[in-house]
Amino acid sequence: MKYTKNILWALPLFTVLLFTACEKDDPEIPNEEELITTLIYTLTPDGGGTPIEFRFTDLDGDGGNDPVITTGTLAANTSYTGVITLLNETESPADVISDEVAEEADEHQFFFQVSGANVTVAYADADGNGNPIGIESTVSAGDASTGTLTITLRHEPNKSGDGVAAGDITNAGGETDIEVTFQVVIQ
Amino acid sequence: MRHFSSFLFFLLLFPVLGQAQECALSISGTVMDEGTGIPMSYGTVYVEEMKNGVASDSLGNFRLTGLCKGAYHLRFNHIGCETKTLFLSLTRDTVIRINMHHHSELVDEVMVHEHHSQHETAASSTINQDAISEVANKDLSEMLEQMTGVSSIKSGAGISKPVVHGLSGNRVAILNNGIAQSGQQWGNDHAPEIDPYVAEHISVVKGAGALAYPGGSLGGVVLIEPDEIENDPHLHGNVNYIFQTNGLGHTLNARLQKYDKWAAWRVSATAKVIGDRSAPSYLLTNTGKREYNVAAQLEKQLNPHWEMKLYYSLFNTEIGILRGSHIGNLTDLQEAIEREVPFFTEDEFSYTINEPRQAVQHHLLKLESRHVFNEHQSLAVTYGGQVNNRKEFDVRRSDRSDLPALSLLQWDQYLESVYKHFFEHGRQLKTGVQLRMTDNTNDPETGILPLIPDHRSYRLGAFAIYQQEKDRLLYELGARYDLTHFQVVTISSSIPREIERFYHTFNNYSLSGGVRYRVLPQLKLNLNVGHVLRSPEVNEMYSAGLHQGVSGIEEGNRQLRSEQATKAVLSADVQLRQKLFLQLLGYFQYVNNFIYLQPEDEFRLTIRGAFPLFTYQQTNATLAGLDALVSYEPIESIRLVAKYSFLRGDDISNGQPLVYMPSNNLSGSVSYAFKDGEKLKNTAVSVNGRYVFKQTHLNADQDLAPVPEGYFLLGASIGTTFKLKNTKLRLSVAGENLLNSRYRDYMNRQRYFADDLGWNVSTRLNFEF
Repeated sequence: MKYTKNILWALPLFTVLLFTACEKDDPEIPNEEELITTLIYTLTPDGGGTPIEFRFTDLDGDGGNDPVITTGTLAANTSYTGVITLLNETESPADVISDEVAEEADEHQFFFQVSGANVTVAYADADGNGNPIGIESTVSAGDASTGTLTITLRHEPNKSGDGVAAGDITNAGGETDIEVTFQVVIQ
Repeated sequence: MRHFSSFLFFLLLFPVLGQAQECALSISGTVMDEGTGIPMSYGTVYVEEMKNGVASDSLGNFRLTGLCKGAYHLRFNHIGCETKTLFLSLTRDTVIRINMHHHSELVDEVMVHEHHSQHETAASSTINQDAISEVANKDLSEMLEQMTGVSSIKSGAGISKPVVHGLSGNRVAILNNGIAQSGQQWGNDHAPEIDPYVAEHISVVKGAGALAYPGGSLGGVVLIEPDEIENDPHLHGNVNYIFQTNGLGHTLNARLQKYDKWAAWRVSATAKVIGDRSAPSYLLTNTGKREYNVAAQLEKQLNPHWEMKLYYSLFNTEIGILRGSHIGNLTDLQEAIEREVPFFTEDEFSYTINEPRQAVQHHLLKLESRHVFNEHQSLAVTYGGQVNNRKEFDVRRSDRSDLPALSLLQWDQYLESVYKHFFEHGRQLKTGVQLRMTDNTNDPETGILPLIPDHRSYRLGAFAIYQQEKDRLLYELGARYDLTHFQVVTISSSIPREIERFYHTFNNYSLSGGVRYRVLPQLKLNLNVGHVLRSPEVNEMYSAGLHQGVSGIEEGNRQLRSEQATKAVLSADVQLRQKLFLQLLGYFQYVNNFIYLQPEDEFRLTIRGAFPLFTYQQTNATLAGLDALVSYEPIESIRLVAKYSFLRGDDISNGQPLVYMPSNNLSGSVSYAFKDGEKLKNTAVSVNGRYVFKQTHLNADQDLAPVPEGYFLLGASIGTTFKLKNTKLRLSVAGENLLNSRYRDYMNRQRYFADDLGWNVSTRLNFEF
């Protein structure tokens, strides 16, 4: 009986303790080292000249503000050497994520899908098994036109799938790490 | 009530006066219904040592005579009740009172007993221990699916959550041993961390306003109840092993218990190892599972008025998630929906669990002190502590797959005090106070912004329930108050990352009333009406981020108000002799401010592509349904059972159906029980079928893929028990989806990617001593 009385007394005390308990600590902000904030597709004209830059930047990740997309204008009937750079710009200096992709080349592949514009993109690099990666590419612009270019990065695709090595995404599978679309203007 | 009556039983166990000679002792007493206290006629009392027994008379009285001094194991049976065993050390003439736990329906190994608990007005259904251990290789939620009106929401073969009358997750409280299960219950892909083997009963209370339990149970309450340890000084135990062909799975459980002088104890340990499951035409790569659980229970009667109980359980699981269901964006999802065979499907079976996978650990510690002041008053004080550690691993770049993508640690402390007073003339009052504190912390090891923020919640609840029984009428009135306070600490989604603090307080009340009326001895009517308020949970207010499984970005809504639900449940039980049992249950629920995920028109552009945006919104909704069960025994050894569940959920403000409502379904079984032989007992065969209708109450634009067609599954089982002296060995074989039908279920989120499970045969051995 005495025991129970003690418990009854403890109850309100416990309540007070509970509701006045100290504030929850500040969370530690995770180090988002895997985040890809930026894709830069740099096209350098084969005959020399100023490189053109296609850039997709979303500094705050999935939520927050909308991404910023900038495009360039290609010259008609010109060939370019293309290089993709992936960055994590939340780090300072920015992390170069494309290096991680290059290290795991056999598990990654970029795909270039053109719609409307007179442009063809071909792979200019290969992984250890001789399959394309797409960090380096060659771009041939044809007659003046406009359209879109979609760049997709697949993680763990089936590189031996039908047409995949030629850049056809249909049978690639895997999961998408990046999918960005740029307006393309050829003048 | 139950514990109190057990206590009474102890009191009455004290021997009555009387000098007895050797082998002229007697045991006499009365068999009563635990809930109503009404004597039960024509039960049997069997004395194992004498291999003999007697029946109770029409007033429930029985008398065993010609007994010697010594130890006896008594077994009490009554039609429609669970067998009760009792150990007695007989020294003189003894009078006992036995309280039987009543089921309206007959006990059968693989049958679920739909019954109304005798001392409540809310409808409930129960599965007992025999039925649990028969299918214990399954998840808790899959077991509950056998009940009408209960289904599961699944994420593949290894993850399922119970859905009661269309509601799940935050709206269905799961009580493990009287303590509300904490953990990340908000997630549809977070299964309750409970080992069904620890339960003596698993019940689902379907009515609203199960007010004695922590607030907000709009849908219902799932109760996992371990039994009290029997008063038997001998060591008893049970070893149960199940092998399943689909997934080549092994499930092993061992249980030991003893009523020692220092205390009564029970321990239970379970191991489960299951490999890749298979659909009818391909393997489901990476759908294996591991589970290792232990539980220990200690009970001590300190004096006739005071009992202490201690309970600890550890649940440990690792679950593989179908590799082909891990997708990057909406394009991948569309591609996956169109694929015949899921991507990443291997030809080789494996027990290996790779990413994506979940690893969850859950501790529960419970301490209960029960004080009985006199035969009218009792007080129980309970403490419950829980720790839940959930880690979810994704396929990631550069060896980061070993780092969890979600890592949450939750602490939960619970303190409850319940006072019961039994007055004269069948009146009783039950009242209590409950305190709960939950702390949830993200581990920054993930390197990813958390999906739900760090938070703390403080909850204070108080309730009172008054009940009166008079003649054929039982009525009940109850009220409950809940105060909920949230402290939320978020990390901003914009750069620079900032830490912000938010506070929310909700005052909620609940009311309920019920009547049970025995119109005729064969007909019983139950009506239960409840009005319940549920405060929004942190995930509904603060979710932020990509939900990969459904390729959508979910955003919480900080303006949410409490949901207000009114539910009415009316049920009728008809029992005609011992041949026909019919139970009809109809319900209607109106929910004001029903919280749901609304797909927005805009798409959110990310570097991974455009994702549909879902936000938490409120609407007014109705849920209406019917559960029916009929059991018929044309002759003694044959039994036919049919069950039907119908449900319709509507968002009445927007004039459209509610999504993720279980499909209507119809199931039936025929079983034949053989006559008990000299050595073989409880031999029975049964064939069962289940038809799940297509969910047609849905608009085409409410789902990313076409709704799956209806399907039929055929099953069968056979089992027998060998009796050897004081031990029992039961062997049973059960088959599921024997036609190896290809199907997809609307409530399984894996349906976008793969077919559901193909045929499976489970072989079970159970040794009891």
